[in-house]
Amino acid sequence: MTRDRTAELPESPDDGTLLQKPVDRRGALGLLVGGLAAGAAALSACTPLNAATPKEREIRLLEWEEFTQKHYRRMTEKERAETIERLERLAKLRDNQDVTIATTGAQPGVLFGYAFNISKCQGFRNCVEACINENNLDRRAGTQYIRIFEMENGVVDLDEANPTYQHEVPTPGHFYLGAQCFQCADPPCVPVCPVGATWQEPDGIVVIDYDWCVGCRACMAACPYWARRFNWDAPEVPREEVNPDQHYLGNRARHKGCMEKCTFCIHRTRKGRLPACAEACPTGARVFGNLLDPNSEIRWVLANKHIFRLKEELATEPRFWYFSD
Amino acid sequence: MRRLWAAATITCLTIWLSSGCREGHQVRWDQLPPGTVLVPVDSATAARNAALQPGVLATVPAVPVVGWTGPGGRPFEMARRTAAADSGPARRFGTISLTIALRNSAAALEQYPCTSCHQGRRVIMREKRIADAHQNIRPVHPKQTGAKCATCHAADNVELLALENGDHATFDQVYELCAQCHFAQVAAWAGGAHGKRLDGWEGRRVVLACTACHDPHRPAIQPRIPFRAPQLERARSHTP
Repeated sequence: MTRDRTAELPESPDDGTLLQKPVDRRGALGLLVGGLAAGAAALSACTPLNAATPKEREIRLLEWEEFTQKHYRRMTEKERAETIERLERLAKLRDNQDVTIATTGAQPGVLFGYAFNISKCQGFRNCVEACINENNLDRRAGTQYIRIFEMENGVVDLDEANPTYQHEVPTPGHFYLGAQCFQCADPPCVPVCPVGATWQEPDGIVVIDYDWCVGCRACMAACPYWARRFNWDAPEVPREEVNPDQHYLGNRARHKGCMEKCTFCIHRTRKGRLPACAEACPTGARVFGNLLDPNSEIRWVLANKHIFRLKEELATEPRFWYFSD
Repeated sequence: MRRLWAAATITCLTIWLSSGCREGHQVRWDQLPPGTVLVPVDSATAARNAALQPGVLATVPAVPVVGWTGPGGRPFEMARRTAAADSGPARRFGTISLTIALRNSAAALEQYPCTSCHQGRRVIMREKRIADAHQNIRPVHPKQTGAKCATCHAADNVELLALENGDHATFDQVYELCAQCHFAQVAAWAGGAHGKRLDGWEGRRVVLACTACHDPHRPAIQPRIPFRAPQLERARSHTP
């Protein structure tokens, strides 16, 4: 933690200096489209006027409003509330789901950190299962945020490690190392975004505004840890398996063509709970806590255990440490 | 005669109902000792689970840990063994069931209560029959360490644990017993690097006891088939 860019971030969501790039692009588009809408035949397919049923008409109206939606950090509180109401209503209309989408902000004085015990992990992948269920990950594409590497004892070599093992674990002579988004203090994925759709929150979590993302995948290429995932198609989650406890920047429904990633379960951790992976781990290999609290478990681990991070030479300063007993 | 039978039946039914409709043994971990608090593990999860599965994950009984302190010298608490197999962490917490990790110890004890044979007096048995009477126990740990039953169990009271200094500890204070040899593990457990925390990363700290994850007679975590492997675009490389 030599550098911490989150400290420089302004807290106010309405600060015009937050994004270096011009952000009134969609506003302008909205005005233009609004003016043309009445007469343009090309737009008739998506106008609400020719919807078959009242429900369909409402869905199209709500989708229409999505076009003129602002960037999340530039929304006022009122606009955020309206956006959330619209998203919840859309979930109800489309799939008859009663979801609650939170916009809980970062707690002051909190910086999240993670520690992973490579002596304890047995490679059971319970964390992966919990992550899929908790974050509404695409079941058809089999998206997984967490990868567990099976490695031979003695050396951390990601090129020789096997992340797709499927046999009884633990294998003698091997250890297991889990990787996910490390929420780097200097994240390489953030400055490469051409539209400013991804940024770091004051509590250290790197988040994405899914509705602002254009799906160029530059962040995916920039991440040295392969932590980001792309939605090649609209994610499919069976209705009865959808987690209704959602966050705008976290596990809410994504659409086709946007990036997503681990957010340390932002909808849970901002309410004081553990991330789903840490809670599900059957061996206690995962430690999560507040780095700014000197009496937290994570600080005890960092002070008392042998620790290392992946690819430290890249100076991305991951807030994810590995330790051994 | 028929009237007599009816009267007898009603009497028996009344006695059975007044005794709580259940047979079974009075076990000490059923009674909450003074100073015990019921800690809501997670109200949001409890509310959500209550809608899906009524009665699950409402509370978990916890006791303060004596003799060890957490990070920064702060006291912490330990989740107690629960008698009901379907309550608390034994059944489900978080998003998935952890039946493999969390040994269903209380249910096993209810199935084989020590006090059904050991009723405060000495049970005399030929040594080769002792194993037959404890078929549910796989004594891997005693075999590895050369321990006998009485190394850990109090000979005069099977529901207590015997410490090396002659003191007795309850099953809830099992960390005192384990700490006699595994002092590094207990230090890491108190600090937060070993074991599992139940209630979240902030607020009061409630952790699981040693025997919530480790079978005391066979402490190693057993191998099993993992959750399904990911479909990776380039499986062998860490760079895209």
